[in-house]
Amino acid sequence: MSSVQETIFAIISKEAGVDLGKISLDSTLKELEIQSLDAVQIIFEIEDHYKITLPDRDPNFDTESVKGLVEAVEKLVAEKQSAAPASA
Amino acid sequence: MRRVAITGMGAICALGHDASATWTAMREGRSAIGPITNIPTELLNIKVAAEVRGYDPLAHFDSKRLVLLDRVSQFALIAAREAVAQSGLDFRDDTRGERTACIIGTGIGGENSHNEQSSRFYGDRNPRVHPLAIVRVMANAPACHVGMEFGLTGPSFAVVSACASANHAMAQAFEMVRSGKVDFAVTGGTEACITVPTIKAWEAMRVTADDTCRPFCRQRRGMVLGEGAGVFVLEEYEHARARGATILAEFSGAGMSADAGDIVLPSETGAAKALAGALADARLDAHDVDYINAHGTGTPANDPTESKAIRRVFGAHADALCVSSTKSIHGHALGAAGAIELVAAIGALREGIIPPTANFIDADPECDLDYVPNVAREKPVRAVLSNSFAFGGLNAVVAIARAT
Repeated sequence: MSSVQETIFAIISKEAGVDLGKISLDSTLKELEIQSLDAVQIIFEIEDHYKITLPDRDPNFDTESVKGLVEAVEKLVAEKQSAAPASA
Repeated sequence: MRRVAITGMGAICALGHDASATWTAMREGRSAIGPITNIPTELLNIKVAAEVRGYDPLAHFDSKRLVLLDRVSQFALIAAREAVAQSGLDFRDDTRGERTACIIGTGIGGENSHNEQSSRFYGDRNPRVHPLAIVRVMANAPACHVGMEFGLTGPSFAVVSACASANHAMAQAFEMVRSGKVDFAVTGGTEACITVPTIKAWEAMRVTADDTCRPFCRQRRGMVLGEGAGVFVLEEYEHARARGATILAEFSGAGMSADAGDIVLPSETGAAKALAGALADARLDAHDVDYINAHGTGTPANDPTESKAIRRVFGAHADALCVSSTKSIHGHALGAAGAIELVAAIGALREGIIPPTANFIDADPECDLDYVPNVAREKPVRAVLSNSFAFGGLNAVVAIARAT
């Protein structure tokens, strides 16, 4: 399990009160019975943790799998790291 | 039971600085949503709003007075002046002021002053906070300033219920006039919360659109923030008739309910209860209603839920109803929304013109009513309901009918 994946699973578990063991890469937020307000809190915690901004529009919270979220975050984190030396 | 007349109307919002300019834009479906100009936008992802533009506070208040007034109180006063002038009532006459309630809703209160002081304190690390910060920020300030300007010494307070504040305030004022507790009321709602932190907070909730507000259509992407105020003079009906006042409409009823469910997700049952409550309170049959000014925020969740609630209450008559959301052009003015939208309800009633739902592209199968897309419609209107459904699951629907 990548560290991003581990962190995201932990955030989902904490924010939505879902048992960590129930979360897999293939689960959708809908299957995990995550309400929209919990979903936006999950996004906020992820953004705040990595200091990144996830796309605002059409996040498809309900239908998109956790895998999609993990990949999006990994991509943004990688972009941030490659940009970091210049701005540091 | 006593009846209640509306004898004065005032408004300021993105559509214009008075009720008549506001109604004209509504009738034409002319949107005032556009790029934000009054505040810095570099930190914003959502860069559109329905701001009150071309507004110079000094044209309305001298600088000595202005220091006391947050933008939210300024808007309330401007709308109240228009409404009181139209009513032709002098509240300083005899005991009239004592017999008048002043109830003004706001969702947030003095957000601009709050933001300004916080910014000095945390941003500039300036430890000196303005001595009038408290009286500018307090949510009852608009009601107080309106009361002071016109000498209203009856029951006076603010009503706070997020996006339903204005309708709850007007419902309360209406009840007081109807019951005989007072003979007049100056009532409505006001909001001025387009600040960088507020918009960031709305962005974080992911319910705001980045293009424009498109209620009930398939391409809707959320709400757009607005601002402004609407204020009305309510008066015991026979008193208004006896003095020969122009009765804009009869304020005929109000229905209120709480979902006691989710803090944000709307409930069809809760909304339907408020709609049915308003009809019953106004002694109207479903068939008497020709137009509903919808809450119609343009969010994915509100619009289908509201449509289902209307269908549930109106049955087959739902298909004969015109339902439109003027938020498509003046944005969502939160605690002022119901008051600004009452201007649309009164306009429809008096002129037989239904203001359209602007920015409408394609129909959404989840929203299956007649939303009067993009173009106003001529139709005789006997009675109108105006919906407000707030975060927290607080619902308030007001009913008005043609003056007889």
